[in-house]
Amino acid sequence: MLVLQIFRNKRIIESTMDKGNPRELWEYMLTQVELSISSANFNTWFRSSFVVKIGEDGVVYIGVPSQFFKDWYLKKFHTLLLKIIRDVSYEFRNIEYMIVKDERRKPMKETVSAGRGALELPLHEFYINKSDNLNPRYTFDTFVVGSFNDLAYSAAQVAIQRPGITYNPLFIYGDTGRGKTHLVQAIGNQYKKQYPGRKVYYLTSEKFVVDYTDAVQAGTANRFKDKYRQYDLLIMDDVQFLSKKDKTQEELFHLFNALHDTNKQIIFSSDRAPVAIPDIAERLKGRFSSGMAVDISEPDPESRMVIVRKKAALHGVILSDDVVEYVATTLTGSIRELEGMVNSIVCHAQVKGLAPDIAEVRQSLRSFTRPQKSISVKNVVGRVAEFYGINEESIYEKTRRREVVRPRQVIMYLLREDFRISYPSIGTKLGGRDHTTVIHSCEKIKREIVVDTSLAKEIQNIRSLLV
Amino acid sequence: MRAINNPNKACMNISIEKKIFSEAVYKVARFAERKSSTLPALSSILILAGDDGIKMRATNLETGIDLKLEGICMSEGVVAIPATLLQQIAGSLVGEGKITLEHSGDVISLTSGTSKSAIKTVPYDDFPSIPFPENPKKNILLPGVLLRTLFSSIAACASPSTIRPELASLYFAVEGGLLTVVATDSFRLAEKKVPLSNKGIQGTFLIPAKNALEIAQALPDGDVTISFDEHQCAFVSSQGMIVSRLTSAAYPDYRQIIPKDSIVEAVVLRKDFETALKRTTIFADSFQKVSLSFDPKRKHLVLFAKNSDIGESSESLSAQILGSDLNLSFNHRFLSTVFSLTTSESISLTAAGIGRPIIIKGVGDNSLLYLISPMNQ
Repeated sequence: MLVLQIFRNKRIIESTMDKGNPRELWEYMLTQVELSISSANFNTWFRSSFVVKIGEDGVVYIGVPSQFFKDWYLKKFHTLLLKIIRDVSYEFRNIEYMIVKDERRKPMKETVSAGRGALELPLHEFYINKSDNLNPRYTFDTFVVGSFNDLAYSAAQVAIQRPGITYNPLFIYGDTGRGKTHLVQAIGNQYKKQYPGRKVYYLTSEKFVVDYTDAVQAGTANRFKDKYRQYDLLIMDDVQFLSKKDKTQEELFHLFNALHDTNKQIIFSSDRAPVAIPDIAERLKGRFSSGMAVDISEPDPESRMVIVRKKAALHGVILSDDVVEYVATTLTGSIRELEGMVNSIVCHAQVKGLAPDIAEVRQSLRSFTRPQKSISVKNVVGRVAEFYGINEESIYEKTRRREVVRPRQVIMYLLREDFRISYPSIGTKLGGRDHTTVIHSCEKIKREIVVDTSLAKEIQNIRSLLV
Repeated sequence: MRAINNPNKACMNISIEKKIFSEAVYKVARFAERKSSTLPALSSILILAGDDGIKMRATNLETGIDLKLEGICMSEGVVAIPATLLQQIAGSLVGEGKITLEHSGDVISLTSGTSKSAIKTVPYDDFPSIPFPENPKKNILLPGVLLRTLFSSIAACASPSTIRPELASLYFAVEGGLLTVVATDSFRLAEKKVPLSNKGIQGTFLIPAKNALEIAQALPDGDVTISFDEHQCAFVSSQGMIVSRLTSAAYPDYRQIIPKDSIVEAVVLRKDFETALKRTTIFADSFQKVSLSFDPKRKHLVLFAKNSDIGESSESLSAQILGSDLNLSFNHRFLSTVFSLTTSESISLTAAGIGRPIIIKGVGDNSLLYLISPMNQ
């Protein structure tokens, strides 16, 4: 029986096996070896070996994990293995054994060639100095100045040269991804370099809130006060998150006064102008804008090109001019998105070993640009109906049941607000309604959203379903 | 069956001093495979009696040992016995006297004094040979005692995880008559230098730290020759040979991380530091954090630990401090490792600044360099 099976096996394998493929050859050898030795032996000696390559001269190289294996193969299995491969083909003349490294040990070489010690390597990118909370990665060297931010940049320089006197506080605002955090952190890093003895502290307003509530809870509010009053330069990022946090605002107000009176420099950043921050105490608003409030506007194309080039160069990749231009003009998002794109190009370049050309970039950018909103009315109706757990058909019907009316109004509102469909066409698509009905529904929802937070939340949830 | 196959090796008969026997089994058994899933021969000890005396062998295919024993060989032969079983027997031997091993059929009988036991043997055909480095051109000679302390102290600093095999290994570099042994787990690093008697040899190798610890237990006191090639190293002494697989990977250039400048240096008495650290450690938090403050004005080194569940403790040591104020936090386990690395009466701590590693040395002990990365505060 066994013999028969071997014969059969052999015939099948011989007819289908690719003799030149090391993996298939090894698999075949294993099936043969397994029949000839005990399973304990097989598991011990053959599990971690493989055919490395088949030489031109008919020598099969078998990779083994250590000297133990090499010696034992030579002593015990050499004749057996030789017999097996001879059966496959007479082209195979001999077997040689070599000790090979584990697969996963190979990539380690790259980190060594990076030229930095292994200890500091993982820390470098993410390392944040805990005494001042600043990320050393953000410096003015890597900061691109263009017409969109040169006012903010010069204000920052003045604040560093004459801290606490000229522009105090310095308030920097602009949309997300414009480089606010980079700028304020660069100020901190530069300040630290210029005035070694002085204390800098960077924090987000959210951290300030948490710190404050923790301090109140632990009954150490005084220590909290002292802690923040000792700094010569305090940088608070994203102050708009302080809205509605009345107690924290009050604390910030006092802190502000204490620092301002002693001519300590304060820097704020926010995504909108001081007056436009909702739910924030008037006296704080006034103080925010009492020094210098500058905005960072949208970067112009030239600046975007400089940014792309600089970011790529930081990673050691030089991009051709047309690639830079293409990337800068195609992506109309924040600088952060631009940076992400550059990172993906850099990754491509590192994998392939050379900078990508325009065609490749276009190819990889395709996946990066946002999908167009190609969503049909029917789709919206389906999603909303599903969200409210009602029958999709009933939306189109003339029914005026409460549980249907509200979703229908929501649909109209969404189609109008998010998809900019005209009132009459919304009406016709939702079962031939008059456009005045649609206008009424939209207005109604718009009004209600303001007072009814649960409705606002519902619509927010539906929107996330539609993206 | 084996007996019939090898009639001339069948009837091994040897007699060994109980004490020698027990010690040998204790040493050799740790090299046997502990997992039962593999070949039975790998979890056995092979006893050979032949022309070159009595020998015991064991291997787990990572490391291997071949140990010579003093004893009387009445009749030659080879036998493999399960290591755990032999270990238990050896542990139960008491008093003076000899133990006699007599092999017949597939049973070996152990006679010592009035007791007699028969053990079933394991087929020894599967027992692998212990590989010696293929062309051991590189040899270094060291006293076994020194090597043993070197292994057992430094190996603790290597990484316990095998994800990066080079960090789970000890790095040996021989150059200009100096042996440098390094271990790091990427949080701290220990480097020890030992002068060699034979100069002119150059080379580096990486030995898995786990293997080094096992080898340290079995090394004799006398001189040991270390031979190595690319894949294998051997520790040869008059009493036998121990081999280990080497890690084939590139070791990171660790010298780059050693800070060259410093802003503050403190010298403290080892005794003071040790007791202070021990006391402060009680209050360390779950991150095992202990902070060190250098206060050059008052000439104090302050140890501080705080645990929100227990409380806090601080202790100032009078120290000789030169430089500027600095406060750094460390994992206390890493700090206390230094006491096993040096025997100096005083310890010097050199810091290069916030977020940079601290260097600890024994005063007057130039052989050691110990470096710890600080924790984020």
